[in-house]
Amino acid sequence: MEFIGISVDVFLITATLALAAFGLAIIYGLIGVINMGHGAMLTLGAYLTWFFISLNIQFLLCVLLSGIGVAIIGVLLEHFIVRKFYHRPFDTLLLTWAFFLITTEIIKIIFGTDFRNIEAPIAGAFDVFGVNIPAYRFLVSLFAILLIIASTAVFLKTNLGIKIRALIQNKEVAGLMGLDINLTYKTVFGFGSFMAGIAGGLIAPMLSIDPYIGNIYLVRSFFVVIVGGVGQLLSGTVVGSFLIGGTETLFAIFSDQVISQAAVFLLAIILLRLKPSGVMNKKNV
Amino acid sequence: MKKNKKNKSIVNKKVSRRDVVKSMGYVALGALAAPAIIRPAHAADPIRVGIISPLTGAWTVYGKAHIAGFELAVDEINAKGGVLGRKLELVIGDSKTEPRIVVEQANRLIRREKVDFLAGTFSSAERNAAGPVVKAADKVLLYPTFYEGQEKEYHPGVCNKNIFMFGPEPTQQVWPHMEYMMNKFGKKFFMIGSDYAWPRVTNMVTKRKLKELGGSVVGEVYIPFNTPQYESVLRDIRKAKPDIIFHSLTGSDTVNFRQQFAAAGMKNDFTLWTVDDEEVVTTGLGPKVSGNDYVSFDYFMSIKHPNNAKFLKAFKKKFGQDALMNTVGVAMYNAAHMAALAIEKAGKVDTKSLRENLKGIAFNGAPQGPVTMRKDDNQIIVPSYLMQVNPSWTNVNNMFNEVQSLQKVVPLAARCSLPL
Repeated sequence: MEFIGISVDVFLITATLALAAFGLAIIYGLIGVINMGHGAMLTLGAYLTWFFISLNIQFLLCVLLSGIGVAIIGVLLEHFIVRKFYHRPFDTLLLTWAFFLITTEIIKIIFGTDFRNIEAPIAGAFDVFGVNIPAYRFLVSLFAILLIIASTAVFLKTNLGIKIRALIQNKEVAGLMGLDINLTYKTVFGFGSFMAGIAGGLIAPMLSIDPYIGNIYLVRSFFVVIVGGVGQLLSGTVVGSFLIGGTETLFAIFSDQVISQAAVFLLAIILLRLKPSGVMNKKNV
Repeated sequence: MKKNKKNKSIVNKKVSRRDVVKSMGYVALGALAAPAIIRPAHAADPIRVGIISPLTGAWTVYGKAHIAGFELAVDEINAKGGVLGRKLELVIGDSKTEPRIVVEQANRLIRREKVDFLAGTFSSAERNAAGPVVKAADKVLLYPTFYEGQEKEYHPGVCNKNIFMFGPEPTQQVWPHMEYMMNKFGKKFFMIGSDYAWPRVTNMVTKRKLKELGGSVVGEVYIPFNTPQYESVLRDIRKAKPDIIFHSLTGSDTVNFRQQFAAAGMKNDFTLWTVDDEEVVTTGLGPKVSGNDYVSFDYFMSIKHPNNAKFLKAFKKKFGQDALMNTVGVAMYNAAHMAALAIEKAGKVDTKSLRENLKGIAFNGAPQGPVTMRKDDNQIIVPSYLMQVNPSWTNVNNMFNEVQSLQKVVPLAARCSLPL
């Protein structure tokens, strides 16, 4: 019983963290932009969802609209700024950090600084074998896993996926072969922003909505992507989330919260020492 | 032509350099003379008060009520002609919710803005950062937040003769309601708090009384700031089967925990008593998540006291019908009025006379009911209220239902070398 309970907890945390980190896994993992604005994108997703709900729109539609909204903002950011810096990845760190600062201030101006909340669209919990499972979180977790699998299928099985992989492998040759490099970059960046917006909206009912909500996940998301393996969309994100999120629950069984959170990051450092390009990357440089 | 121009500019430079030296001389002379001219305050010169508020950063949500309380009081005082015929003037510093910035701001306000005294800072960490500054500069700081009480080892953040506490400490906020809660729900406590001084010391003090009353602690966890997931904590709580969850998480962690607590369907099985969630946080929680939980403080917008009705009327007139007030904002309001009374009584504004006259001063117009500043340890004596959150609240006016109240709660003496 205890074991099932813990497994469920580990699953919920892993899936939720994977959802939060997925947008970053796409933008950082595929096109190498060190997106420090990822937290702000999650925050935007949460606020947009809150806003659409206040217009009495159905919850899932709100989340979808928020994803589209954040994608539009992401594409604009890419078009006017980020695309000029693809060959200078470290500069993107500063640019996207500036995006975070500006977005946070704009959110404060438009929505104010008060806490806001969204009621979970499915309230309560259900019991399985005496284990209590919160309904909404469980559904979001399932949805997150499906979303990541579906996106990975797009990446592996479709034309678009081939284009993206060609771009990552060799930009010059892909360009010479007739691939529209700019458009592909833009598509990936927009898709990553879309995922961040969706994640922000779905996570919003579990958290307080304030101008810094997304930043709770910023550092954790980076650890997920780096520990899991940059560029490994499915396996990297899921395994990384387990190592950064799920293990925290396991540590917490026999130590207190403060120590278990620290232990997770210690584990991350040790793993990176042993496998510098991430647990799920086969080639280690 | 070009050469000429260049020459000219060099000449100009020489002249201007000489000018600069000359004018610097005048400025120096002026600066030497200035104190003699400026120092003796004219009767009409304003009394300058430095305010340090968390206007940006993690605790921005609390900043608005914090500063609004003081502003309202200053308006009221100035409308009556000020103190000693002098108006109060506010100089505002943003702490950005960072102790490091508090030190910068306190120094700026004291040295550059030449304020007469300071009010504000929000968390205990912020107050502790300001402690050494007000000690060294010998300025008074009026501190508004409910806090952990004064322990000698945290001097000069507490046990500092220049710092006056206008918020309740645990023997006022928690102790008076423990018997009621334990009789009604049982004696097993599960303590959950954020990982810093205030929750840890508050729980330590609470445990002392708990032991006296024959209760026990079945779990005690401290959560690092910005923790998003609470599964393992919720599981620990289920396993420990407490009668009361004693809650002192702060900021967004409060909301995250309580949303997940409610989502896990645990609200029906456990009683939750929070000592941190006032109007601002409860608004963020919504009625479903916060309903039926218990809260204790010295002030709530919902309390029925004639002073409060009068206070809220003025507050809403200035800041709008939907503006939020809380215990900290009211403490700032009281602090401004009590400082004005002390200055009036002293007849002058210097630190020593302000300090001497704040001690023992009473304020009958306080929104929560009359309050007094205790002489020996600069600790305010305030009422204490235990409230239950109305499960169908729609706004701050019907958010809390009174369970019990004590009009005058005398706290234990501060653990300092007394008198301060």
